[in-house]
Amino acid sequence: MDRRSALKKTGLIAGAAVVMPSMLSILQSCKNEPRLTWQPEFFSAEEAQTIATLLDMILPRTETPGALDVKSDIFIDKVISKTYNAEGQKYMRDEIAAFNANCLEHFGANFVDLEQDKRIEVLKEAEKTSGKFNPSIWGITIGEQEPIGFYRSMKSMAIWSYFTSEEIGEKVLNYDPVPGTYDGCKPLAEIGNRWSL
Amino acid sequence: MANYNIDAKKDLTYDAIVIGSGISGGWAAKELTEKGLKTLVLERGRIVEHVKDYPTMNLDPWDTELRGGLTPEQKKKHQVSIRSNWVGTDTEHFWADDEANPYTEVKPFLWLRGHQMGGRSLLWGKQTYRWSDLDFEANAKDGHGVDWPIRYKDIEPWYTYVEKFAGISGEPLGLPQLPDSHFLPPMELNCVEKHVKSRIEKEFDGRHMIIGRCAHLTVPHNGRGQCQNRNRCSRGCPFGAYFSSNSVTLPAAHASGNLTIRPYSIVQSLMYDDKKEKVTGVRIIDAETNEDIEYSAKIVFCNASTLSTTQILMNSKSNRFENGLGNDSGELGHNLMDHTYRVGAHGRVEGFDDKYYKGRRPNGIYIPRYWNVDEKSKSDTFLRGFGYQGGGYRGGNPANSESFGADFKDSILKPGPWEFFITGFAECLPYHDNQVHLNKDVLDKWGQPTLAIDAEFKANEKAANKQIQEDAVEMLQKAGLKDITGFDNEHPPGHGVHEMGTARMGRNPKTSVLNGFNQVHAAKNVFVTDGACMTSSSCVNPSLTYMAITARAANHAVSELKKMNI
Repeated sequence: MDRRSALKKTGLIAGAAVVMPSMLSILQSCKNEPRLTWQPEFFSAEEAQTIATLLDMILPRTETPGALDVKSDIFIDKVISKTYNAEGQKYMRDEIAAFNANCLEHFGANFVDLEQDKRIEVLKEAEKTSGKFNPSIWGITIGEQEPIGFYRSMKSMAIWSYFTSEEIGEKVLNYDPVPGTYDGCKPLAEIGNRWSL
Repeated sequence: MANYNIDAKKDLTYDAIVIGSGISGGWAAKELTEKGLKTLVLERGRIVEHVKDYPTMNLDPWDTELRGGLTPEQKKKHQVSIRSNWVGTDTEHFWADDEANPYTEVKPFLWLRGHQMGGRSLLWGKQTYRWSDLDFEANAKDGHGVDWPIRYKDIEPWYTYVEKFAGISGEPLGLPQLPDSHFLPPMELNCVEKHVKSRIEKEFDGRHMIIGRCAHLTVPHNGRGQCQNRNRCSRGCPFGAYFSSNSVTLPAAHASGNLTIRPYSIVQSLMYDDKKEKVTGVRIIDAETNEDIEYSAKIVFCNASTLSTTQILMNSKSNRFENGLGNDSGELGHNLMDHTYRVGAHGRVEGFDDKYYKGRRPNGIYIPRYWNVDEKSKSDTFLRGFGYQGGGYRGGNPANSESFGADFKDSILKPGPWEFFITGFAECLPYHDNQVHLNKDVLDKWGQPTLAIDAEFKANEKAANKQIQEDAVEMLQKAGLKDITGFDNEHPPGHGVHEMGTARMGRNPKTSVLNGFNQVHAAKNVFVTDGACMTSSSCVNPSLTYMAITARAANHAVSELKKMNI
């Protein structure tokens, strides 16, 4: 598959020579009057801003779309709204509050109101303290799993929502719904990106 | 395919009744109808026609609103089966309603059920291996359980018979403990699996690693298409490339012109005639109207799945059988077995980063049993044996990386590191006290008593699991893997979804429920040929053996009918 031409067709790399202003800067510009262009089902406007800022820092737009380009924030809101029970939803809300409380304690402001370098510090720290997923086989984690913190689970959701979006799944990753044959040993160079399915 | 004949109301009398339409019931239906018997298949759930009723077979993740996520209502409905973590939007409609069909876990037991035409044959793992005399002689040799009334030579022609029709792919190995099937061409190992195979076979005398033997077509077969390597099997295969009742046996039964299938039919009991000393038919409850209906037949095949079949027999009480049909021995409901599950090792493989695969092969590797196969391989710590399944793939969890941002995002678009794992399946001994009983305190949606399941793995299985993990770690070490994790998730029985026993075959009516042709000792026109009949559990997957045992029993049933013996 010629991914670049596929992307060109969608106009996604039209401005690739210039560093695209990310959603982040849009959020920064209006941090005193948070405004969402969509209506969350679960998140409050402030929570949605926090999640959007996080997603945009983890998976920003580059030559390929970022998490916000594929509406990961809207999808994650929907997943929490429609698949979590009340207990799970409360946990998520508490975790976002705790994440912001931590920012406030160490840097004097909520996550979205911090300067970018401070946000990076927050994420670097979170990378060290939010645990790691054990390998899983056939859908279930093996061995004794340490607790997974809010940041790691949100990062995991970000990647899941990104990979399973139509934009990324069909046009950025290698999309092959009916492979036909199995070839167990091909040069990676002939394939390129990971398979989407 | 033409619509099934589902109008069973006008005719209440048949030559044969088959209870259940899963792997063994489908075979019973095919064999009996093809031999000329007017056969009624009673199915607890709805009709699922091949292809037509596979609504999710071509969906991509982004085609469903929650991309596989289940709502709290769906999670409640499947509160048992979601513990397996196999239930998603793609297969949700093939898993039973756990709320309407409760059971009691006296000890933890995961009972996974599929209540629709085809049953769990739509969802199964499709690993297919012959059992050997190592298995059929095991009880007699070490004294656990009772002796099987059959040996490999009795079932060998029936293995060949069902394999030729079902289509089993694999590679011959010539091992006495894992007899070769009649094979279609094997699937292919990937480069990491080939590498690990060569290291293990070089380092360990008597150990082999092969591609899984499985009920996936690698070439077109009997009008069905070959596997397209989509690995979306459990949604139903539009190519009919894996064995299910829906795509293979029920269409054949239908083509005979002798099949009637009645959906929404919950079998309440078998009706026994004290004078004739046989069963005269089956009493059902219509799942939708709650109507009671009685169907009569000359013979009845019980293929409701291991525990459901036993539940029906227990619920079939008469003057002659106060404790359940055919339960003179007191063994009905006892000797429940499953294979141990999710114990093994996992690691990372270096040196193949420039290699990748194409296609999603619905199959993995198999390491046949190598303990207790001869004097030399005798274990001091456990009886019987175990085999491993597993495989190599490019995995990794990108969320674990301690980076984020532009470079991170670009990096995760590439495949992750190669990983490889093996996980063991150990044989479970038949223990009398691993058992089920009817629970009148918990009724199902139709007012019927439910099952209480009281079973556990014991010292022998735990010792085998210990060996599984030690050996797995050692093999992965010798194969040069890195970051090796040995694991034992200590899953209770049921997770292996190989539940067996509770109406065992045997030579002696005083200690078993069924004879060597799967007939209830004291009601010879009743045949049990699903997992309930199993006398021991081997360490290999049982479904192929259910197929062979069913075809053999159906052949015997028709022959006995002709001789007027039943």
